[in-house]
Amino acid sequence: MTSEILGHIGPPDERSEFLSLSFSPLGAPLRHRWRNNGVSADFLGDYVITFLPANGSMATERSQSEIRHAVTYIANEFLENAMKYHERHVDIPIGIRLELAGDHITLSASNGVGFAQAQRYKGFAEYILQENAGDQLVTQLEKSAAAPESGESCLGLLTMINDYRAELGWRFEFHPAYPGVMMVTTSAILPIGTAAGESA
Amino acid sequence: MKSISGESFEVRLAENDSMIVFKGALRLSGMEDYAPILEMLKGTLSDPFAPIVLDLRELDFLNSSGITMLSRFVIEARNRDGINLRFFASESIGWHARSLQNLQRLMPALTISFT
Repeated sequence: MTSEILGHIGPPDERSEFLSLSFSPLGAPLRHRWRNNGVSADFLGDYVITFLPANGSMATERSQSEIRHAVTYIANEFLENAMKYHERHVDIPIGIRLELAGDHITLSASNGVGFAQAQRYKGFAEYILQENAGDQLVTQLEKSAAAPESGESCLGLLTMINDYRAELGWRFEFHPAYPGVMMVTTSAILPIGTAAGESA
Repeated sequence: MKSISGESFEVRLAENDSMIVFKGALRLSGMEDYAPILEMLKGTLSDPFAPIVLDLRELDFLNSSGITMLSRFVIEARNRDGINLRFFASESIGWHARSLQNLQRLMPALTISFT
């Protein structure tokens, strides 16, 4: 299966410690799943801090809290986006994965997206990789206020870069079983020092 | 309306309708769901001489749609003459320091007080 990569995204590291959750898009109505997004994101945030070493920069309660919040925020945004834009009526699971490495945490989410939506998303990914995220964030907020009816702002992705110093990456590939549907994986790498907000 | 609440949050008007207090975790699904809260916020702008305070000290979580909602309110306040807007934020909730300063870029006169 050919794939297109934007930004920095690697294959899953099977040697690292990881947690992977999978949801069936056909299993429950959107509003019910929305509530579950928060539960799942909170769980990932709580889970990650139990694995952080209790020494060095991770020792303080404050930095643990910062990391928990960063993971919860990013997981919540990933799940919200996956639920919103997932191609309806195809039985492709929505997945989210948390990987722990020595100096960083990787969160990634994957879901099936219609070709046209995938192209729009790819265009936005290319745009945010080229510009300063802080400036783009302010621009998007101004645009959103000027045109309230416009839906997609991708503000969540910009806050991940600007507020949490996350390094984002994307993988786009055609789904082998569903013509016209693309599998989109979005990844966020959080260096543990900056996830804790210490050098941000 | 004096109060809007959900399973994980409460937004409440206080102090003669010039303060709005946020509590809990706000992760509504989009601007449509945030519209009642935005309307409550905009209601405080009717008196241009009264200082307006948003007390966020107990708002533990806000998703990006919520940040968009807050930014629309801040831009509305900025675009009116003489609005005195202040946020109360918490030093112990990490996202406050990181994300609220983006709103100051939208409205440099916005005051954020950390406790």
